[in-house]
Amino acid sequence: MNFLLIILGKTISYISKILNLGHGSTWPGHIALKLNNNFINQFLSTNSLKVIFVVGTNGKTTTSKLITTVLNKENKKTLRNVSGANLLNGVVSSIILNSNLQGKLDKDYAVFEIDENALSQISEYIEPDYLIILNLFRDQLDRYGEINTIAKRWTETISNFKKTILILNADDPQVAYIGINSKLKSYYFGLNEETNRDTANQSVDSIYCPKCNKRLNFEKVYFSHLGIWSCGNCKLMRPKLSISKFRFLPLAGTYAIYDTLACVLLCQKLGLTEKGIISGLKTFKPAFGRQEDLKYENTNVKIFLSKNPISFNESLDTVKKLGGKTLILALNDRIPDGLDVSWIWDIDFETLINKDMTIFVTGDRKFDMSLRLKYADKFNQVIDNFSKDLDKIIENLDKNETLYILPNYSAMLDIRKSLTGKKIL
Amino acid sequence: MKNYSLNIGWLYPELMSTYGDKGNIITLVKRCEWRGIKTEIKKINEISSDKDLLSCDLLVMGGAQDTEQEIVAEDLKKKKKTISGMIENKIPGLYICGGFQYMGKFYKTADGNKLPQLDILDMHTENPGGKRLIGNIIAQSWLFDNKKIIGFENHGGRTILGKNIKPLGIVIKGFGSNNLAKEEGAIYKNSIGTYFHGPILPKNPFVADFLIKTALELKYKQKIDLEELDDSLEEKARIQVAKKLSVTI
Repeated sequence: MNFLLIILGKTISYISKILNLGHGSTWPGHIALKLNNNFINQFLSTNSLKVIFVVGTNGKTTTSKLITTVLNKENKKTLRNVSGANLLNGVVSSIILNSNLQGKLDKDYAVFEIDENALSQISEYIEPDYLIILNLFRDQLDRYGEINTIAKRWTETISNFKKTILILNADDPQVAYIGINSKLKSYYFGLNEETNRDTANQSVDSIYCPKCNKRLNFEKVYFSHLGIWSCGNCKLMRPKLSISKFRFLPLAGTYAIYDTLACVLLCQKLGLTEKGIISGLKTFKPAFGRQEDLKYENTNVKIFLSKNPISFNESLDTVKKLGGKTLILALNDRIPDGLDVSWIWDIDFETLINKDMTIFVTGDRKFDMSLRLKYADKFNQVIDNFSKDLDKIIENLDKNETLYILPNYSAMLDIRKSLTGKKIL
Repeated sequence: MKNYSLNIGWLYPELMSTYGDKGNIITLVKRCEWRGIKTEIKKINEISSDKDLLSCDLLVMGGAQDTEQEIVAEDLKKKKKTISGMIENKIPGLYICGGFQYMGKFYKTADGNKLPQLDILDMHTENPGGKRLIGNIIAQSWLFDNKKIIGFENHGGRTILGKNIKPLGIVIKGFGSNNLAKEEGAIYKNSIGTYFHGPILPKNPFVADFLIKTALELKYKQKIDLEELDDSLEEKARIQVAKKLSVTI
């Protein structure tokens, strides 16, 4: 039976790629599960690979790719689900597409990034050997619901796990509390650096104690609600860290430090040496759209996927540190982005955009973005037609200047397509 | 308008700012600033006194997640009398989503529990469970010469108005606060309650100006004519959404 499902899956994927139907990474899984609900169980029990899940609002794709890059450099065979295929169908499809016809998955590690809402469902089929939780921010309330609801569901799911080892962000109170509450072995990553952000901004998600609901004290804030926290009332506090810094960081920005620390901590638990991890990280190339470097007509273009207030703030902060002068902000409101664009009012444009930056806006909701900037007193220009106007923008760049583009998800796919002329996925 | 000033009371900014509703505060402040009206934002939370609250010329309250809403509900009990008095005394206010629901008599949860609310406005909210009402929304309001209000709604509760309170508008596209009656929000004296996110004020500058003008008139006891501002970009953003929903504005 499973033999047939694998053939069927591979054929479907092949055909959909040829015909450019676009769903080659999710259909095989969908059909396999329809025909045999026990597919994953039967399949994984015949394979001795270790399974790693990565969840969190921001940084899933980057962290997963960091992990597979390091493992590959160590000559381990890995499989990773492609970005966007992070629901049950996508995970099953990636298993099918990576297996041989005998139903053997000739891999040492499977690294799956999992959608916030899909963890419970996928966990009914697979209990991971390691679960990494990066962070929990507000994102697309119309699709995901409120973060307390997500945290509650995760806690329930994890309480059914028997052998999973948790790798958690200690600086995020909600995430750390999942580990504090769990009987599973938990290891924590977090930061101990000096910072100039000492109090949490008002529009943050978890500045109240996850245990007793009283306001938390923050000794340090690294960004949003991530920092060194404790509760004056019930004495809950940030757990002890297993790692707080690393000698080599492949990506710019505070944000990416957390992704790297999560990867390094996991690799340490898998028995890799520091030397091995560093040489792996040195070969890392960003996942598409995540601080990805492209060349367009001899101009350097850097794309920062910016899909919610937190990731947008972090992108702007990083662009500022890199000395960026010309920025294109792109806002769409299609289904993968969330239909609600209210969140752009939570971005800290007031403090994160310099006077000498030239700002352009584009996308389905470009006027909303332009309006947001107007109310932050930031002059900006609306692009009518991206592909046409891009050349003019490029002409006006200084010699060797990098163009920075900050799009949300579907806008990133559109823009990448215009820049590279290629279809994605 | 150089000699005017307004204190804007922002109720529970850390707790009741779930999704971009901070934009309402930004809009009020900027539209005052562009006209030379001074503003001060007074953050009202668990540690604020009645005096802090009474110093406000205008109140704004956003929506929140369930846990945060429980924390606020506890504290609001202490402030109920003062807020109720201010609303009765025509202090203008904007109450969004959860902030709107608090003003009613009770909130009936999906499993039938009746949670008492502040009982300031003649209305109550029921959550029938199941599907949340989510999407872009356009409503038309008599209060603003039948101009169309454009925004985004995302709520489980349905708010039913009593006899002593009027809806803010009639729904043209979307669900509204009471989807069966096609009504959206409520207006009582100078207080506006609504489920509109988006946030509501940036794309509906006439609502922002109504709040500013009313607050100034009440404070300075004279008729105020606000200077016109250039709202052409606001209009483009409005048309962009209206087009999506095949509504002409």
